[in-house]
Amino acid sequence: MAEGLKKKGTVKSLSSLFPPEETQKASERVRDTIAERHEELQQLKSFISDNTNLVNLVRTLPNELNHQIMVPFGKAAFFPGQLIHTNEFMVLLGDGYYAERTSKQTVEILKRRGNILESQVESLKADIQDLKTEASFFENEAGRKDLVEIVEDYEEESSLQEVSKAGDSKADFASSTEAESKGTGNEGDEYARIFSRIAELEKEEEEAEKDEDDEDEENEDDIDHSVNQDSVDQESISCGVDGSKLLPVYQDGSSQDGTPASSKPRFTESSIKPPVRKENVRAPAVTKEEVFVRTSEPSTNSSKAFTGSIVEHTRNLETNPREPSVAHSSKPVSRFRMNRK
Amino acid sequence: MDRIREEKIQRFEEFVDRRLKPDLVHAIAQRDKVFEQQKIFSDLKRNIENLERNSVTSLSTLVNLGSEVYMQADVPDTRHIFVDVGLGFHVDFTWSEALNYISAREEKLDRQIEDYTRLIASIKAQIKMVCEGIRELLQLPESS
Repeated sequence: MAEGLKKKGTVKSLSSLFPPEETQKASERVRDTIAERHEELQQLKSFISDNTNLVNLVRTLPNELNHQIMVPFGKAAFFPGQLIHTNEFMVLLGDGYYAERTSKQTVEILKRRGNILESQVESLKADIQDLKTEASFFENEAGRKDLVEIVEDYEEESSLQEVSKAGDSKADFASSTEAESKGTGNEGDEYARIFSRIAELEKEEEEAEKDEDDEDEENEDDIDHSVNQDSVDQESISCGVDGSKLLPVYQDGSSQDGTPASSKPRFTESSIKPPVRKENVRAPAVTKEEVFVRTSEPSTNSSKAFTGSIVEHTRNLETNPREPSVAHSSKPVSRFRMNRK
Repeated sequence: MDRIREEKIQRFEEFVDRRLKPDLVHAIAQRDKVFEQQKIFSDLKRNIENLERNSVTSLSTLVNLGSEVYMQADVPDTRHIFVDVGLGFHVDFTWSEALNYISAREEKLDRQIEDYTRLIASIKAQIKMVCEGIRELLQLPESS
């Protein structure tokens, strides 16, 4: 009703929201619907009374061996005759299937049918009650001058804030919103993909340990895929010293990064995410070995390689915990937008 | 001048919508009812002829007790049949009497159907004529 009101905190009197003619039309329509429902209810009640009559009939028929009746022959003719086998009934189960039942069994079937009818009556009555409340709203409340409607868009505001928070990495935000917008079912896929990607990268690293150029390319690829360009630069600057210094720094960094990475998400993130985090924690262990291996290699190359590898893995450690958190905070935004659209 | 014409057109349209069309619907419904009756009696005729041909004197059948619950019924003597003659009266006929009655009844139903068909046709003609009148008043070119 108040779709046009998207500003924060709009106050309108109810009588201005619902012009009298419209109110009258609406109440008329609601009343028509109520009448319709009443007819349906009446029909259902007649079904129920038919059913109870039939139950009584089925109960009493087997009391005697046979009953003199007029047997219908077509719709316009009868034969004088009698009912025989008074404890045998053929009951339609539906879809053209009939079952031969005794009187008691038939009564049970009919009672079940009666229960279904009763529940239908109940739901219909609730329906009518709802419609009556609606009608009384249109008749009593909608025309009153002293009532106002206050419309305030809470979610719009909060989502905007979150956008600005998460806005420092646009590309990732876009990709995460894309992933989120596909729904919760795709979240699992998303993580599975990240998972497989990490495994892939590890394998590649192990295979191409001696091939530094390839390694660098991979690292660059990784940088492109991961989020924060600024943090990358900072990391590479802080780590970009010589090999002898780098080793302890890196080890410290990995251990320091490892602990918050594993401890943080447990407090903040949902239960699906820790596995991914564990993978991340494991990743530096692999790289540590690499680092040790490379110290034995020529210094110029190794320093090159170090910066590369350090950039990659500190990046993975630092950004990955951030990445899901960004995705997490952006979740309500995207869903909210989906709803809006 | 224009206003008079407009009023006239409106009156004609109202006549078509409120009088002729409901009449037409009603007549068609009546005719459908007669069709139903005709079908019932033609079925009955066929059934009796079947009985005659097979010289069935006793019959066992299923009777609908309501809500599609059936019970077996036995007719010891089929030579006497009670046929609905209208207004809730049933007459005890033998087969040949019943067949005579049914053919007379069918004739009457046929006449009724013819009457209704004629009535429907005349209502349709009236609707068409009034529409044609409206068209002339509006001075539109002939459509068909």
